[in-house]
This record gives sequence, C-alpha cells and structure tokens, in this order.
Amino acid sequence: MFNTSTMPDQNIILSVKNVYKKFTKDIRHNMYYGMKDMLIDPIPNYMTLRKKEFWAVNDVSFDLREGEILGIVGANGSGKTSLMRLIAGIYPLEKGLILGRKSQKITSVFALKAGMQPLFTGRENIHIKGAIFGMTKSEIEAKMSFIEDFSELGDKLDMPFGNYSSGMSARLAYSVAIANDPDVFIVDEALAVGDSVFKTKCFEHLKYFVKQPGKGVLFVSNNIRKHLKVSSRVLVMGEGKIIYESTDHVREALEFYVKNCLRNIDPEKQASMLETVNYYDL
Amino acid sequence: MDIGEFKALNYLCSELEPAGSMTDKILDHNQPDKTLTPLYAERVRNPLKRIWGYLQNIKRHTYLLNQLIVVDITSSFKRSFIGLSWLIITPIISVFAWVLLQGAGIIDPGDTNIPYPAYVLLSTSIWSFFQGSYLVTSNVIINGGRFMVAAKFPHEVLIAQQMVVHCINFVIPFIINIIVLLFYGIKFSSIAFLFPVTLIPLLLLGTGLGLLVALLRVVAVDFSRIADQCIMFLMFLTPIIYAPRIQLNWLANIVKYNPLTYLVGFSRDVLTHGNFYELNLYLIFSLISFVFFIISVWIFMKFESKLLERLINV
Repeated sequence: MFNTSTMPDQNIILSVKNVYKKFTKDIRHNMYYGMKDMLIDPIPNYMTLRKKEFWAVNDVSFDLREGEILGIVGANGSGKTSLMRLIAGIYPLEKGLILGRKSQKITSVFALKAGMQPLFTGRENIHIKGAIFGMTKSEIEAKMSFIEDFSELGDKLDMPFGNYSSGMSARLAYSVAIANDPDVFIVDEALAVGDSVFKTKCFEHLKYFVKQPGKGVLFVSNNIRKHLKVSSRVLVMGEGKIIYESTDHVREALEFYVKNCLRNIDPEKQASMLETVNYYDL
Repeated sequence: MDIGEFKALNYLCSELEPAGSMTDKILDHNQPDKTLTPLYAERVRNPLKRIWGYLQNIKRHTYLLNQLIVVDITSSFKRSFIGLSWLIITPIISVFAWVLLQGAGIIDPGDTNIPYPAYVLLSTSIWSFFQGSYLVTSNVIINGGRFMVAAKFPHEVLIAQQMVVHCINFVIPFIINIIVLLFYGIKFSSIAFLFPVTLIPLLLLGTGLGLLVALLRVVAVDFSRIADQCIMFLMFLTPIIYAPRIQLNWLANIVKYNPLTYLVGFSRDVLTHGNFYELNLYLIFSLISFVFFIISVWIFMKFESKLLERLINV
C-alpha cells in the first residue's frame, strides 16, 4: 500500500471540501419542507437542522489523487451513497465545494438496474445506459465489441434485461460504465454481486484503469477483503462524517470500521462479536 | 482499453496483488490543465439564457432523447401480441361509445354544425391532446426518478421526450379520426393544413401546467390530485361534448371566459369549417400559453433537482 502522506506532489483530480447534505426522517416533514423551501423560503439557512432533519453528509472533505483507488466504507446509512451522488452531480450541492479538472468525466455505477429497461434486451440496454452516461450513438457502437467482450454475456445480450440475474446485470452495467471511459469512476456496491471470475476481472481492471493518466476510482463497498486487495487508501464514514482516514494502513482503517459498527452492541458481547466478524471478514 | 491485455490475464488462477505501489503507476505529470475548478457551479441566473442553455443541452443529448422516446413508445406494447394496433383500436372504441350514447338519446349536444359523432370525436381528440400533455409532464419526476438518480444528465431531455412522445401518440389515432370525419362527409378546407400549428398553444399550456404539478406530486400529493380532478372537470366546462352555443346561463358564462374554449374551438374550426374561430382571443390566449410555458419550465428546472432528493423509493 502506498502512503498518501508521503506523496504530497501526487496530482489531485477531485477535491471535496466541507460538503453537507441533509435529509428528513419523516415522509410528511419531508414533503412539508420541500414545499416550504420551494414556495416560501427558496434560500433556507441550510446549516440549521429543522425538526426531523438529519445530516446524511456532514462536513466531508477529502481529495482523490491521480492513480488512486480510494476505498469508502461505513455502516449502512452512514452517508456513502449520498456523498457519491453529490460527487456525481445527481444531488444538488447546497453547501460546500466539489472541485475537479476541466471537462472531467465522472461516471458512477450505483444500483445496477437503475436506468435499465426490463422489457428491452441487454443489447438495447447498452444503448439506453450509454446514452444516459452521455455517449453518442457512434461512441456506443464503437465500444460495442468491447462491452460484449468485457461483459462476456454472449447471446444472453439478446435476452430481455428483466430476465438477467444480479450478476448478469452487474456485468452489463459495469461494462457500459467503463466503456464510457471516465476520469473519475465511482463504483458504489456495484461489485457486490457477480461471480468470482467476473469480480476478479473487474478488480484487475480497476488497477489497470488507475494507471492511466488522470484517472481515479472511488470504490464504495463494505467488503473488507476487497478493500485490502484493491484500495490504496480508505475513508471510514459514520453518521455522515469521515470518522477515519487511512494514510498507509488500510487494514487499521478497516479494523476501525468494524469496531465502529459494533459500538452500539452491549460491551460484553462486543469482544465475541468482533472475533466472529474478523473470522468472516478480515 | 486493450482487450488483449484482459484476455492475457489469468483471472482464475492468479491471486490478487496488494493495491499497486506508486512505482508501477504510469502518471503523466505533464498534463496541460491540472487546475481544479468547481464542478457544479451556480447556474446562469438570466431565465432566458437558462432556457437557451436547456435547448442546447437537448441538442447535445439527441441520442439520449431518441432512446428515451423509443423506450417510452415501444415498452407499453412489448408484451402485447397485437402491439401498436392498440393505437388504432382505442380511438375506434371511443368513437363507437359516443355514437352509441347519441343514438340512445342520452346526450343532447346542441347545434354542432357537423354530425355529432364527428364533432365529439374531433373535440375529444383535441382535448385529449391538451390533457395528455398535462398528464405526461406532471408525472415526469415520479416516473423518471429512477433515471434521474442513475446518472447525471440534463433533465430537460425528459421534458422534451414527454412532449415528443405525446405528439407521436396523438398523431396515429388522429389519422383514424380523420378517416371517420371523411366517412361523416366532412370536407376539409384549404387552411386545414394549419391544424397541427394551431395545437401548439394547447401543448404549451398543458405542458406548463403539468410541469408545475410535477413538482407538487413530490411534495404536495393532495394538491396534485386536486389539480388532476380539476383538469378532468375542466373538460365539462369546455365545449367538447356539447356545442359552444348553450342555453344555460351559468355554463355559458364559464365557457365564455374559459381560454380552452378558444384554443380548442379554433383548432376544430380550422379543420372542419376552414374559418378562424375568435381569432383575436385565440392569439391572446396563445401568447399567454407561451409565456406561461416559459415560466413553468424555468420554475420546474429551478426546483426539480432539489425535489429529486425528496423522492422516496428511487
């Protein structure tokens, strides 16, 4: 593993500075605040939490450097996907700053079936998903053989996407995303499914990908073993904040993450639970 | 990306290496522009410049627009054996129902100048063009939410898609209606070719209303349902299934001040009589519809991304 602290000159390709995002716990308050912000108070004081609101992303700052696979872990609901959606520009940025290079292409793979049409074939969905990623028809057609080769779906590409297994969906979604040739590639739990061979191929691809100039990966997963093998550095998120940032010891960060997940468990049970988690995950 | 490199890798047998050290990374430190700039900067404030920007975005994403149109039109018929034939069957059933009701004496339409079934068929087609434009755009966030959170793309493409699909869905049954009108002996005048142009204000008004209600569907479901009911009820306050010359005073007054009376009536008369029904009022309400549409697009685009995060279950 490399220690980012010893690489001050390494180029930053993405910089997230003091970013916040709040959500509402309750459906009715969610609707009420949405209406209020829209009609009465279009520029609310974003830093004030109203009743039933909580910080999904709370003062998050970090840099992604060229050639880096930055792992992001955190208990469920810790704000990982919200943060990634902010970085991808899907959610509007209300507070904070996200800096990147000019004309930088950020491609994200979130829910594997998002934007895919179940009644259309895999091949048709390549065009649909590619177009959503901003690719033109000629770009998609030029990358079609790459997508076919990388996904290894063969004649299953002519099956309706709705009949795809999770693994097959992952193959297609991941292949289209990388065919888009992003500069910053966000992989949010997209490699949690799929068979071992394909996942291995994707991890090898990620390592190859970041060796190209100007490329970096934000790898969101709670699979500790994968982080140990792939991530150059790890951020641990908890309740919307970055609660641990590894420098040269990814394993320590992951151990911290596991302990943090167990913080609400009875202290007497914690030790045995930690042992069990370590047995399965570390 | 070189496929050969991947094929050369022995994915099954080789054990994953620890994440690469910096020595094996190929870094290009001579890249020309490494300055970091805000990625999601504040949008242009001038509403007209914004609208122009939306049009440019739609132009840049033509292929996405095409794909979304194909998905929208064909997906509802993918599981049907008779497929697109439904576009023909549905208006025929509709015509049959109106003829039956009139034949049974249930509906007294008043003086319609042209045979009642032809009148009602044409009027309901024009009305459904307006109502449909409202319905499709008012559901743009709810139906498109999954697309919207999948990746960043200009959401104005979704509005354009809804408008184009709506026009396509209108054209096919309308051709059937024209055949039925010919069957009833309606002779089209030389200015009938203006008919598609006369529908534009209805499209703009329906879409404008729909975009505002689309925002309400996320945060004020009750209001959006009231709006739906009002649009449905509005049909009965517009000369669609009855003639504009009506006896009831209160209804006559509502019809008189209802802009849709002129927007629908003008289109209908251009096609069937070859005259311009209340031209001045039509032009005034057309201009109002255009301005209303621009304002609605501006309001929608200003708030839709903020409401996107309030969608549940996307």
